[in-house]
Amino acid sequence: MRRSAAPLLLFLLPAALLALPHVLPRFHTYVAAIVLLTGLLATSLNLAIGYTGLYQFGHAVFYGVGAYGTALMLTRSGMPAPVAFLVGPLAAAALSLVMGVICIRLSKLYFGMLQISLGSLVWAVVYRWYSFTGGDDGIHGIPVPDAISSPKGSYYFTLAVTALCVFAMYRIVRSPFGKVIQGIRDNPVRAAAIGVDVKSHQLTALVIAGFFGGVAGSLFVVVENSVFPDMMFWTFSLEVLIMCLLGGMYTFFGPIVGASAIVLLRVFASIHTRYWGLILGTILTLVIIFLPDGVLGVFIRRARPKEPADA
Amino acid sequence: MRKAVSFLAVAALTFCMAGSGLAADTIKVGFVDTYTGPATTFTNDVLDGFKMAAEKINSKGGVLGRKITWVTRDDKFKPDIGLTMAKELILNENVDLLAGTINSATALAVSDLCKKEKVPFLVTFSKSDKITGEKGNRYVFSMNENTEMAGRATAKALAKKKFVKYWIAGDDYEYGHAIANGVWNHLKTLNPKVRLLGQSWWKVGETDFTPYITQILAAKPDFVIVATGGGGMVNFQKAAQSTGFNRKVPFYQHTAIELSTLMPQGKNAPEGVYGTANYLFYYPNTKENRAFVEEFRKAYNRYPKSGALYGYMTAQFIAKSFEKAGKVDREKFIDAMAGMTLPSPVGPMEMRACDHQVVLPMYFGVTKKSPKYDFLIASDVVSIPGKEYMPSCAEIAKARAK
Amino acid sequence: MGFAANLFSTGTLSQILVGLSRTTILFIVSSGMSLILGVLRIPNVAHGSLYMIGAFAAWSVIGFLGGGLFAFLAAMIVAPMIVAAVGFVLERGFFSYLYEREHLMLLLLTFAFMLILGDLVKIVWGPEYRSVTVPDFFRGSAEIFGLPLPWYNLFLLLVGPCIAVFLWLVINRTNLGKIARAAAVDGEMVGAVGIDTGWVFAFTFVLGSFLAGLGGALIAPMVNISIGMDHSLIMETFLIVIIGGLGNMWGALLGSLIFGLTQSLGILVWPQFGIAFPYLAVVAVLVVRPRGLLSSTW
Repeated sequence: MRRSAAPLLLFLLPAALLALPHVLPRFHTYVAAIVLLTGLLATSLNLAIGYTGLYQFGHAVFYGVGAYGTALMLTRSGMPAPVAFLVGPLAAAALSLVMGVICIRLSKLYFGMLQISLGSLVWAVVYRWYSFTGGDDGIHGIPVPDAISSPKGSYYFTLAVTALCVFAMYRIVRSPFGKVIQGIRDNPVRAAAIGVDVKSHQLTALVIAGFFGGVAGSLFVVVENSVFPDMMFWTFSLEVLIMCLLGGMYTFFGPIVGASAIVLLRVFASIHTRYWGLILGTILTLVIIFLPDGVLGVFIRRARPKEPADA
Repeated sequence: MRKAVSFLAVAALTFCMAGSGLAADTIKVGFVDTYTGPATTFTNDVLDGFKMAAEKINSKGGVLGRKITWVTRDDKFKPDIGLTMAKELILNENVDLLAGTINSATALAVSDLCKKEKVPFLVTFSKSDKITGEKGNRYVFSMNENTEMAGRATAKALAKKKFVKYWIAGDDYEYGHAIANGVWNHLKTLNPKVRLLGQSWWKVGETDFTPYITQILAAKPDFVIVATGGGGMVNFQKAAQSTGFNRKVPFYQHTAIELSTLMPQGKNAPEGVYGTANYLFYYPNTKENRAFVEEFRKAYNRYPKSGALYGYMTAQFIAKSFEKAGKVDREKFIDAMAGMTLPSPVGPMEMRACDHQVVLPMYFGVTKKSPKYDFLIASDVVSIPGKEYMPSCAEIAKARAK
Repeated sequence: MGFAANLFSTGTLSQILVGLSRTTILFIVSSGMSLILGVLRIPNVAHGSLYMIGAFAAWSVIGFLGGGLFAFLAAMIVAPMIVAAVGFVLERGFFSYLYEREHLMLLLLTFAFMLILGDLVKIVWGPEYRSVTVPDFFRGSAEIFGLPLPWYNLFLLLVGPCIAVFLWLVINRTNLGKIARAAAVDGEMVGAVGIDTGWVFAFTFVLGSFLAGLGGALIAPMVNISIGMDHSLIMETFLIVIIGGLGNMWGALLGSLIFGLTQSLGILVWPQFGIAFPYLAVVAVLVVRPRGLLSSTW
């Protein structure tokens, strides 16, 4: 089934995405843009957690730094917009490098918790440095260039950037470098034994993940024209992690599926019910118990070596 | 398998598209607010006050022959969800007006959205002075006091007292600092003799205040300005009561005398705490206020809090403004509402034209036990008229020009 | 400004002394989490929800019994028992089937439970603030160095060491504790010698849940009991357990001390960024000792 469906999907999906703003009402176009950028965010996280096997628990920080970097450049500096859109992701990548250097010596859960601590430090600074970041109120009414500030403009910009980034990550995963990090994930000891520099590969993967997380943050600025410290709080980091898990952590497109499901559920369930946590929690519980490979993972059952069970 | 997938897809699509209905012959107000979690103590009163007024207006034939209807969306105290829900209400539900938000970040984000979409937005609880100050715009209205106003009113009341040595403490977030700065900056100009001995700030949600109380008592101030908000109000009062802090040093909290702070504590709330509030159901003891309280109690079987007043007046302003405008038109509505004065349970209430900030009295009082109620109430209440503590239109213009 | 002067003022000593009651709550909750993490290897994010349920349950029990010292003391026992029952259901109903899974999966599963329990609390107790008052017996405060220290805080300072001793006894002096400790090091081996580890695990989870509930019940008179009190606590608890050394009871105590003290002293040193100090301490500890301060059972 998959073989025959794939080429059709390859043609239909871009066509549908391009036609979307002309078919759907404005609100749904806006939601589609949120889905796209959240999908990009989840995919970038999956680079670190699914492909490299690092417990990246603070990924939302890179998303937030990307967003704040872009927002601050747009509101406070006279620089042209393209510079702002580059500064955000680069700042996220730089932070990812610094945090990576500190965390990389630690394994699994310790790595994750140290990352959350460092992330919380960044969050605390953003939350409290009122004169610079707007504190807990955030920054609003961020001026975005006219060409991409209209509903359709922001959608197409988000679509183009997301497509480009996802394609880039796809190539990275398929490259020799991608094979090496997956090898490290499956068995770091063996990888080191055959002469792979484990740490520098992991660090590179972290920086790439941070960069693309930052790009997703910049896109948030384009779509919402606002940023808030909540974006980088640890609960959101875990939510992104859930998107990866829901879609399938060991598939490339799984996180996008997961992100779409969660964003759509959150938006449309929020309209109808106040018990959003109950719904998400129940779905998540069912997925973990019955579909441990995620939704997409069930469709693409590919044999992969089992994770070493010990931390 | 395929059938199941396509069925799911169709079901999901229907689910997503549901709710987008056109309502041509009503006036539709969309509320984006926090309806889960502790903030509901305040937001439910806003909504109930609004409903009560709207239902009464509807029973008398509505506005311009149309009924006032409302839809609510829960933002879970998160600005991103609030923003999404506001867009949903504007684009999908086609609401005529937006209202709500207790979260200042959400209020500011939605205010910016409303400016772009040209939809009037009536803020019903957020206290940031930036909403109608620095970030104010044609489409946003504030139906309640803000941190700057509370600060000025308090400074006015405190300047008349003999306290000289002050200490400032509070929840370490924007609201806390804004209240503290508001009080202190104006108190300094009104009474140049006052001195600040020191400050202590704790994280939002702090549960153990004893270290701070110890620190403050050691400095021996005459008076303490405690800038707490939300859950911190009760947390600090509990600590004050159990350490006897309130009997050693008088202190002030904005909304300390309000029902939302005092009622959950019953008879065990600390006495002698100074506070300010926009609304007290037992003061002023006028015919209008008594009628409002009675109507609210009949409808919901509880005493109205500040939120009830804000929600009630929001509905009144909406109705009267559309009536004055003569048609359901957003721009005409804004022109009609700016500068309008309406009678309210606390006397005439003005929607100031220059900044779209409502002008209403502030009550300053001290907590005290009462034989009539099983919770504490405010005594020695002083009413400070709105005009006396509002930033002037010139100051607003200066803030907005920045 | 005189940051240093701030730090060495007369208030500092008493600040350290009285701030310890916060450490007590942190210790009780995090020791429960440490136990579950050490023996069962479940990074239980829902531990904070159990703490919240403890507080709400205490409110209900005190309300049901009509207040007073007796109602209060009863609530301190009954509320944690209710939470322990919830823990029992979670362990037997879900976790017992999933111990073979990766930690990451278990972490996300507990996150799901946190979301579910949060909404269930909302359904059972409603979204409003709840408040419990300190019983008359504990009202008022003692004078230490001429500064007031509430009796209730003194009570907490007494409870903390009692819990520590109790846990030490359970773990080191009872058979169950010994098996649990052995299972923490090598679960398969314990199973191989013919001991049913299932019930040891259930007992551990229930004890951990009881401690979370006790923490919640003890803090109830000091705070506004509200939805969301789990969020603010859970990350602190996690970090305490990590810096103390996973599964190490004394590590949980040490971690709580570090967390509690950096918080109060941090605010003295640099008020604006006071909230950042505990995280800074965690980073410092983990950079120097990547596996926590004391030996971990992992």
